[in-house]
Amino acid sequence: MSWLDIRRETTFVLRRKSVVILLISGLVLSLFSVWTGSMDVAQQRATIERLLEADKQDREEVIQKHSGYGEAAYYSFHLTYAEPSSLAFAALGVRDVYPWKHRVRMLALEGQIHESDTQNPELALAGRIDFAFVIAVFAPLLLILLLHDMRASERAAGRHDFLTVTARSSFWLLRAGFIVTALWLALIIPFIGGAIVNGVSASLISLVALTVAVYLLGWAALCYWVSRFRFPAPVLASFLLGVWLLTSFIIPAVGDVVIEETYQGPAGGDILMTQREAVNAAWDLPHHITMDAFEASHPQWEGKTQTSSLFEWKWYYAFQQIGDEKARPLSQAYQQTAEDRYNAAGWVAWLSPATLLQRTLTHWAQTDAPAAWQYERDVREFHAELRHFYYPLLFNGREYSAAALEERPTFKPNADD
Amino acid sequence: MSNIVLAIARDEWRYWRRSSLAQTVLVIALTLAIASVWVTHSSISQSAEQRQHMQSAAEHTFTDQPDRHPHRMVHYGHYLFRSPPPLGTLDPGVDAFTGNAIFLEGHRHNSATFADQKQSSGLTWLSKLTPAFVMQILTPLLLIVLGFGVMTREREAGTLDFLKVQGVSPSVLLAGKGVALAGAGILVLVPLVVGAVMTLLNGAALLMVVSFIASYLLYLAIWCGVVLLVSTLATSNSTSFSGLIAVWILLCLVLPRVASNTASVMVASPGKLETDFAVLQQMRQIGDGHNASDPAFKALERSLLAEYNVDSVEDLPVNFRGVVAQYSEAEQTKVLNEFAAQQMRQQTSQADIARQFGWLSPMIAIQNASMKLAGTDLENYHRFLREAEKVRFDFVQSLNTLQAEAMTTAQDTNRYRSAEANRAATVSADNWQILNNFHFTPLSPQQRFSGSLLAFVQLCFVLAMVLGFTLLAGRRI
Repeated sequence: MSWLDIRRETTFVLRRKSVVILLISGLVLSLFSVWTGSMDVAQQRATIERLLEADKQDREEVIQKHSGYGEAAYYSFHLTYAEPSSLAFAALGVRDVYPWKHRVRMLALEGQIHESDTQNPELALAGRIDFAFVIAVFAPLLLILLLHDMRASERAAGRHDFLTVTARSSFWLLRAGFIVTALWLALIIPFIGGAIVNGVSASLISLVALTVAVYLLGWAALCYWVSRFRFPAPVLASFLLGVWLLTSFIIPAVGDVVIEETYQGPAGGDILMTQREAVNAAWDLPHHITMDAFEASHPQWEGKTQTSSLFEWKWYYAFQQIGDEKARPLSQAYQQTAEDRYNAAGWVAWLSPATLLQRTLTHWAQTDAPAAWQYERDVREFHAELRHFYYPLLFNGREYSAAALEERPTFKPNADD
Repeated sequence: MSNIVLAIARDEWRYWRRSSLAQTVLVIALTLAIASVWVTHSSISQSAEQRQHMQSAAEHTFTDQPDRHPHRMVHYGHYLFRSPPPLGTLDPGVDAFTGNAIFLEGHRHNSATFADQKQSSGLTWLSKLTPAFVMQILTPLLLIVLGFGVMTREREAGTLDFLKVQGVSPSVLLAGKGVALAGAGILVLVPLVVGAVMTLLNGAALLMVVSFIASYLLYLAIWCGVVLLVSTLATSNSTSFSGLIAVWILLCLVLPRVASNTASVMVASPGKLETDFAVLQQMRQIGDGHNASDPAFKALERSLLAEYNVDSVEDLPVNFRGVVAQYSEAEQTKVLNEFAAQQMRQQTSQADIARQFGWLSPMIAIQNASMKLAGTDLENYHRFLREAEKVRFDFVQSLNTLQAEAMTTAQDTNRYRSAEANRAATVSADNWQILNNFHFTPLSPQQRFSGSLLAFVQLCFVLAMVLGFTLLAGRRI
């Protein structure tokens, strides 16, 4: 293979209008996805900025208005959020369905954490174009259109046998290789631009670029192999399209039905109802019943839980916590169901390269369901911190001082990075 | 002439019967269509039943609560569950993406919680096995694979000239091929039609079912037209095939997502969390309804004292704390509704932008027509939120009225002094019978139909364009 061969093939391939159109449409779509993805992530970051500011101001106003730890805890909300990672622009993931921001207070958490401040459901239904989609779904189609008739078109033009006889054996590989490389460049260059602007690390950029190359090569190998069969081009394309449709759409859709049937858990509504019953029933129970249960899980406050009037804040927050504890088994079962389903889907993904790629990219971008669960765990942890901050103030009967509230814990996003 | 059209169609069908490719895709498409109708029907009916069950459970637990202070019931609150409409079994629409339970309590608008999608396997990011997906995305592909060669094949085999010589006019030829394609489309549509007719038994309106089916017929007609058009224009089988696949990718995969991206970039919709700050700010100005001595209620106190001609709130014949609760709830609700309406407006204007892309892509138009007719679109979800708010306001205010009328101000203020005082500020559980059986019903058939008109016009427009171009192209044969 010489430089001359490469130049000849390049000019030949690029002189075909359909090839150029397909390459340009790949480039345009990749650009569009990177641009709108970056806009989306920038909007998320700006939202967090505004929320942080407003949240702080809101808490300050609350402190000025109230003068008791119990009230302060009741009226103070605390912002929690999961910041989009630098790679999020390329794989927006499930952040349009799973919440990534909550304002929580010291009341029973199960009543707060399932709220969802999600975006427009109709847009979520239509789905988004992000870089992950362009690569996983769109790129294989471009490859099919580009490669399926490599030989069939030459055959139809009557040049096939001539080429096979005169050219070297690597001739077809060279042509296919050139097309795959051109497509890879068209898709990856916008990504690299976006990644630099968004501050993705060089190692992650190369990892994504490499993964995309492997993914494209896989599909290209299939197309190359199929293109050898002596069928008319449309039959070859139909076959490839069938493989694409089966692996990208039908296997996941059927897998989803099977998984949903196999793993069933409690309905979300049950968690809320259980928690509410537990919390509300406590008002009508003698205080010591709540406090005994509270001491069982919080032995450090033993002996400090007696109440002298019908309403005391420490009793109030104790029964909030008991409500959470009663709902916890259900809440854990709900979460377990979600995890079981997602993990089972991991097996199905091995039959669906597109899904596998999407799961991989969203994993790197921390925009997948496990990242959303991690955020939920962070919120739970923060809520516990908040409770353990107030408990000494409430149970030791400390005199109110606004200065003590300055020590309140603050939420640290993406704590484990 | 119609004989010739039928003869041409029959000939095409014979060709498909002999082609293993055509037979394979037809069998696959039919299987998927049947499976999707069955799977979606059973899963949606199951969740409808579950939600209905939870709804009546929620109502019973509310009415079964013991005697207590009315304000306790305001915060005990109530749950509403959104049950899917009958046609939702064929097009679940936004159902999986919206919360299906909402908690109603005093002074707060909670958002709907527990969207099904949050517990999903994550495999449905591209497709869900619903009849809507099979008909909107897969069936066009079937028509393409079956029909890419309807004209080019005749051309490549040289039989086209033969037909012309025999006096078959191009329009008759096109009509025959179109009938053949439409036959295949209708065959795959049958499971959906059966499913739609079955929803009549579950209370779907006839107008909805008929227009639902009609919208899909229009959609299939458009794709038959597109296939005919491209096959007529193309010089060879393979260019026809590649061209059609490119059109399908553009219309069914790319444009809907471009529409969604464009809408969310063009109209920013701050989440509820963000508007909540503004709500809180305004709420503080109205005053905290729990605290009757909040200076915000001085004017109310003065006017009440003047009205009853007494000197202090203790002498009022009504419980001043209850009156404050009533007043502040009404004022706060105004603010809450204003912000809720603003958020709905933003979401609707986003959706409107996305819907305009229906002029370009019939897939977007059919998706909207189908959701709107089924009652599973954004507007119907908003309707659920608004109805929930009405229920919330009514039960909270009747409890506040109870608080105002069933006890004196002194009794209410001193309720934590002793167990006895607490009993004096308690009302009988008979008063909890204030909830009506809630069952969410989507907009009326007429409203849903008029809501879907834009999408219908878009479908008709695209169909007219495609048919017009096909006829023009047919002249050149």
